[in-house]
Amino acid sequence: MENKLLPDNVTKQVKEVFSALEGPVKALFFRSEKKCDYCNTAEQLLNELSGINGKLTYEVFDVDSEMARKYEIELAPGIVLLTPDGDDKGVRFLGVPAGHEFGTLLQDIVTFSKGAKPELSKESLEKIEAIDKPVEIKVFVTTTCPYCPRAVLTAHHIAMANKNIKAYMIEANEFQEMSMKYGVSSVPQIVVNDRVTFVGAIPEGQYVEQVLKAL
Amino acid sequence: MSFFELGSAKKAEIEDRYDIIIIGGGPGGITASIYSVQAGLKPLIIEKALDGGQMNNTQAVENWTGFTSIGGMELSEKMAEHARAFDVPFFYGEVVDVELEGPEKAVILDNGRRIASNVIIVATGSNPRSLGVEGEETFRGRGISYCATCDGHFFTDKHIAVIGGGNSALDESIYLSKMVKKITIVQNLPKLTADKLLQDKLNATGKVEYIFGSVVESIEGDTQVRAINIRHQETGEITKLPIEGIFVFIGLLPNSGFLKGKVPLNGFGYILTDANMETEVKGVYAIGDVREKEVRQIVTAAADGAIAVYHAARTYFNG
Repeated sequence: MENKLLPDNVTKQVKEVFSALEGPVKALFFRSEKKCDYCNTAEQLLNELSGINGKLTYEVFDVDSEMARKYEIELAPGIVLLTPDGDDKGVRFLGVPAGHEFGTLLQDIVTFSKGAKPELSKESLEKIEAIDKPVEIKVFVTTTCPYCPRAVLTAHHIAMANKNIKAYMIEANEFQEMSMKYGVSSVPQIVVNDRVTFVGAIPEGQYVEQVLKAL
Repeated sequence: MSFFELGSAKKAEIEDRYDIIIIGGGPGGITASIYSVQAGLKPLIIEKALDGGQMNNTQAVENWTGFTSIGGMELSEKMAEHARAFDVPFFYGEVVDVELEGPEKAVILDNGRRIASNVIIVATGSNPRSLGVEGEETFRGRGISYCATCDGHFFTDKHIAVIGGGNSALDESIYLSKMVKKITIVQNLPKLTADKLLQDKLNATGKVEYIFGSVVESIEGDTQVRAINIRHQETGEITKLPIEGIFVFIGLLPNSGFLKGKVPLNGFGYILTDANMETEVKGVYAIGDVREKEVRQIVTAAADGAIAVYHAARTYFNG
């Protein structure tokens, strides 16, 4: 028996948060049998979470598979959440959602169990819904960054509002090559369509403007 | 794996109206919420990022009575747990506007939601001040950082400059010394202003050197920061220091922008209050670091919170 990842007091808190779960949520988990320092940790995390509440389930795929290509996951560990109806809303995690990002994963799971309705202001929602081109938002984070969850959650809710949008949480320390490529030295760093880059957790209205600038 | 923090996953379902809305979930705001419940009132805390606020950036708190030394994150968690034990709801979002005229007040969140209350307590604290020099905006996110715990790992085995010589600069430097190769501290005054205890701890790392009486004149680089130009204040001499990263801890600016023109602020943006923590606008209070005062400490923020609620309960709720 492996050591448990989540301490008892955290498990207890998760149980409380998960009491709000409505429909079942499925996580697609992408791992690699090649060099992947964090794949086992990420899988164990999903395993322990689904053990706390059976409404969360997960299915394992290789990052080099047809499924991975379908869901545009190129790095492992990767997580894609699906709504109770099996809908992909473009919400993705690359790397282990630990530290401060653990709360982000939990909130997304609860939101997905309720159908993944975006919690955005009316103005933001109208602007985002009108986007008719593909958008990819990368949010580089570290698990020790207290300002990062808000930047990820905003990106994820923007993705939930429009099928053309995908939003990735990317743990910068796990994917150093990619972080170097994007010159990440301060988080959260948000990159939209590889064209617009900004740093920091900014209010939703400004965030949406940055996304629109990348179109 | 190090830790698992639920953070804003612990958010409460919010209602449209509360007795007291507290903007900011640091030590002041949390203390105010506890006193509110004890006065029989219904408070709501609205927090932008993390329970405990800036306390989370402090490695070791050694002046909160009852704890010889406690981690800033741990103290944050304990305070928030204390409030939750009294059923205080926490909501996570940013207040972008306030309605302060008349007896009913309201806050507007960045998701458009409006929440009303009789009393508003502003406990929004402060944010790191930037240098305001040439190159700072260009290299923001390209080697300049204001948060050691967030970004420290990007500078593993590198030579960095830390700007500032106060308690937060040294506390953060001690944290950074675990990963970086070398730290050059640039301090505008002829000596450090940080507590002796922190100075000793940092010197014991053997990784630090000091440049005193000097300020950053400009920042240079290409795709990343490469050097800072430092001006000696007395001689005016400018020296170029090659470095691979800059951490700035030169003090704080109050988070009061959303109140401009609505409550009186001083020239630096700190909110003016009377001895009861009340602003000129009846029913609107300010506590903690965002308020104009001499001593900005966890313990004084908490005290402000108690004083504000004591007064508000008696004045606006017949408490």
